[in-house]
Amino acid sequence: MDFLLLLIATGLVSGAAYGLIAMGFALIYKSTGVVNFAQGELVMLTAYIAFSLSNTLHLSFLPLVLVTVPISMAVGLVLERVFIRPMLGEPIFAIVMATVGLAVILRGFIIIVWGSQPFNFDAGISSTVVMIGTIPFYPAQLYLIAALALVVLAMWLFLRFSRYGIAMRAVAANETAAMLVGVSVSRIHALAWMLSAGIAAIAGLLFAANFKLAPDIWFQGLRSFPAVILGGMDSVVGAAAGGLIIGVIENLSQGYVGEGMREIAGFIVIILVLMVRPFGLYGSRDIERV
Amino acid sequence: MRTGHFKESPSQLIALSDSKVVWGWVGGLLCLMLAMPYLVGVYGLTLVVSALIAVIGAVALNMLTGQTGLISLGQAGFLAVGAYANAILLTDYAWPVWLTLPAAGLTSAAISILVGVPSLRLKGLYLAITTLAFSFIINHVILYAEALTHGPNGVFVKGARMFGFDVQKGLPLYYLALALTVATVLAGLNLSRTRIGRAWLAIRDHDIAARVMGIDLVRYKLLAFAISSFFVGIAGALMSLQIRFVNVDVFALILSIEALAIIILGGLGSVAGAVLGAVFLSFLPEGLRLFFALVADPNSTFYTNYVYEIRGIAYGAVIVFALRFKPEGLIGIWRDARKYWSNWPLAY
Repeated sequence: MDFLLLLIATGLVSGAAYGLIAMGFALIYKSTGVVNFAQGELVMLTAYIAFSLSNTLHLSFLPLVLVTVPISMAVGLVLERVFIRPMLGEPIFAIVMATVGLAVILRGFIIIVWGSQPFNFDAGISSTVVMIGTIPFYPAQLYLIAALALVVLAMWLFLRFSRYGIAMRAVAANETAAMLVGVSVSRIHALAWMLSAGIAAIAGLLFAANFKLAPDIWFQGLRSFPAVILGGMDSVVGAAAGGLIIGVIENLSQGYVGEGMREIAGFIVIILVLMVRPFGLYGSRDIERV
Repeated sequence: MRTGHFKESPSQLIALSDSKVVWGWVGGLLCLMLAMPYLVGVYGLTLVVSALIAVIGAVALNMLTGQTGLISLGQAGFLAVGAYANAILLTDYAWPVWLTLPAAGLTSAAISILVGVPSLRLKGLYLAITTLAFSFIINHVILYAEALTHGPNGVFVKGARMFGFDVQKGLPLYYLALALTVATVLAGLNLSRTRIGRAWLAIRDHDIAARVMGIDLVRYKLLAFAISSFFVGIAGALMSLQIRFVNVDVFALILSIEALAIIILGGLGSVAGAVLGAVFLSFLPEGLRLFFALVADPNSTFYTNYVYEIRGIAYGAVIVFALRFKPEGLIGIWRDARKYWSNWPLAY
């Protein structure tokens, strides 16, 4: 029983990381229709930026987040302006391939700037073990789960009540109609990239604090695809739920099946999910089936 | 200026090209390729063989992505299947090469049908993500099915002999690769003119309309997967012959991205474009090396330290620039140049 609980708990922790990354994906997909293959690289880039900031400024956790997130949002805005905005009006496939190109560029750039050696990065979080019930947690793990909960709440409130959030949903529902009623679609696209980069910063910071800061974090972006698909590509809150589910499934399959199942359990799940419900658990049913 | 281009008999319609000039150029290119080993050194020949393998892979991916419109991010997986099938059959089962090459292609095609079936309901990006998932699963299976694949140890490829020649190096490998490349390009060109090729184009342009016209989507999508993967498998087999040691790490995700970069740069949907793109991107690392040797300070270790990163950035930049400034690709530049030449001095 303890083994099962432990697996579920650690699954929820890695699932929270997937969920945060997946929310970044979903936010961009929802408002621009583009799957951002560079999301994992964005997470890695912002984690490295946080690392450099923390090395120069020596901040504790909360101030570090407060400094990193705006800088990351600015980075997101710049990437959108330089790489994505000029492609506006091209077929979606072309824009998606541009994000693939952007991903490869960022990966090389990060190694050239920061080197390929992994770093230990505690992000100002202590490492004394906390017991919850019978299960031991590192504080960084609890921060990760709490961050997911906070970001989900914030995004839900933003999309539900704020002026820009409503505009974003309008753009997602029908871009032309949104434009007709006076929503600046290009500004919404830029905002989606900024918010997504902000979420990526939180994900990158906490992922690096939980594991290591290494130039292979980008792979977490691909590992989060199952979460995005499970949640439905255009559902921001669903992506978070999908992340938790995938995290737990991966851990359970590793615990009870072994053989490195952790690496591929998520991918098997999405192939099954896409065969049964091609629009994910919470996604809108707009996928043509031919 | 040409005023008309008339076809007067059915045989002219069937011919790949009715222009004597085109055939002359193709013949010249073929003679050049046959004489290539005597023109470039041993190192140059290795590069040319890699380029030929890339051409086979690109023409194959072009059938799937360019002509049928099914985006695949799983090329590395199919390459791995072909390479492993070839290596295992050669080394562990001592099959002759002329059998292992088609066997590698067929294994890859069989696996691709396995991938294709669940992908039939998906389009566009969902399909891309599914193929990506499959390529991870394939790598994982190779890593853990140790009894068959030797798992993380990889397989050494040895004993590949054909007509008494060792086809793992030098001239025999080059001519084998050249023959297979010519066969693949011919197959690609001809397939696009058959019933199958036209069905693929129809599916790419509008799948619902294609279905309404009576094209069996299941059949032709699976055919696209199978035929494309057959050639990818052969490219993988050639790769295993050239590098002599296959390991899962060789078939990383970057290979799939490289393959997509090739056909985007060359021009989606065009066989000639795929060939151009493959040749261009295969020699890009070499060009970068020469560029850094010329420009950089000779004592600087920047290039040697970051060779993979620089290569990666170059691929990424090529994708981004090609998409932004010339979505029709290299073949588009060639067509523009040809049009300009034949219409000169008129603008159009």
